[in-house]
Amino acid sequence: MFERGKKNDDTIESQDAFHSESEKTFGSFRSKTSDRGGDVAVIGSSIQINGDLRGDEDLRIEGNVSGTVKLKNSALTIGRGGKVKAGVYAKSIAVDGETTGDLHATECVSVHANARVQGNIIAPRVSIVEGAHFKGSIEMDPDAVEQALGKSTARSPKKTVEPKKTGPAADAKPAPTETAKDAGAASSPRARSA
Amino acid sequence: MLDLGVASTAMLALLGQGRCRVEIADLAHFGGVDRLNSMEPGPALVGAGEALLPNRCSADVVDLVFCWDLPNYLTLDALSALMLAIGQRAGPGALAHALIAYSDRDMREEPGCFVPTPDGELMDLSAAGNAVAAPRYSPEDLGMNMGGFVIERARLLSNGMQEFLFRLE
Repeated sequence: MFERGKKNDDTIESQDAFHSESEKTFGSFRSKTSDRGGDVAVIGSSIQINGDLRGDEDLRIEGNVSGTVKLKNSALTIGRGGKVKAGVYAKSIAVDGETTGDLHATECVSVHANARVQGNIIAPRVSIVEGAHFKGSIEMDPDAVEQALGKSTARSPKKTVEPKKTGPAADAKPAPTETAKDAGAASSPRARSA
Repeated sequence: MLDLGVASTAMLALLGQGRCRVEIADLAHFGGVDRLNSMEPGPALVGAGEALLPNRCSADVVDLVFCWDLPNYLTLDALSALMLAIGQRAGPGALAHALIAYSDRDMREEPGCFVPTPDGELMDLSAAGNAVAAPRYSPEDLGMNMGGFVIERARLLSNGMQEFLFRLE
C-alpha cells in the first residue's frame, strides 16, 4: 500500500488514507524490528502524509505527518527527522524529532534531547530529557488523563501541590538589609553552579 | 503552575509528587525574548506575551509562576507586558518567583537552565557562555513592571542574584 501511494506522489492527501484496519495499513510500510522484538512500521523520511493515521502496530515516523495519529494500543516513535503536526493518541510516545499538537498517551510520553515539542502532553508518566525544547502544558493527573483519553475513571480525592513546597523561593525571607554573603550563607534553597 | 524556563525531568518529578498541571513556556528557546524586546509598548505587546505562553488545555488558573532569571533578559516594557499576560490567566494571590541579577555587573548571554534538586537546592545547568551587561533591575523597577505582581519577599543570594517572590494583587 505504501508503494501504491508513492507511485503517483509522495504526498498522500486523504482523511481516510490510512484508516483501513482491513488493509493492514502500517504493515505494508517498510518495517523494522523494534526494541521489544516485534515489527514496527516505519514512515520514511521522504514521505509526507496529510490526514488521519490509525492502526494497531507500533509505528516510527521519520517523515512529515499532519492531521491525526491514533495508535491507542501501540507505541509511536517520532524519529530525529520526523515532523508531526497532529493530535497524537498512543499507548506510548517517544519524541526525537519535532511535533506540534497535543500528545495523549495511556502509558508514557518521552521527549528526548534535541526534540522540539509544541503542544500539550497528557499522560500519566512524562519524561523530558535535558536539552529538549518543550512548550506546552503537561497533564499527569490520572483522572484528567483518563478523561482526555475517553476512559471511565475511578475518582480519588484530588490533592494539590502547595506552592510552598515547590518553589525555590518558598522560604524566602524579607532581606533588604542582608548582605549578599550573609544571605547566601543562610539561604537554602539557593542557586549554585553545576 | 507556569514555568517560563526550560522543561526538565527533575522539575516534573518534583511536581509529580502532587497533582498539578504544569505549563512550560521555554521562552528563551522559542524566540520569545527577542520578539518581546523588539516590540513597542502597548496592547500588541501584551498580546504577543499571551501568544508566547502555552495554549491552555484547562480553565484552571495559574497559581505559581517560575520566571527564573528570564526577567533579566527582558526590557522593562517587555517584562511588564509578559507579566500582565500571565496575570490574565492567574488568580489573585498567585505567586511568581524570579532571580534578578543584582550585585554582579555581568550575566550570562542566555537565560539559565535551572533544575531543583531533591534536597531543595537549585542547580544551574547552563553551559558557560559569553557575558553581557546585567540590567540590575532594582526592587522599584520590578515593583512597577511586573504587571500587577507586587513584591512579597526578597533576599540576596551569595551568587550575585536577588531572589524575589511576587504576589498578584
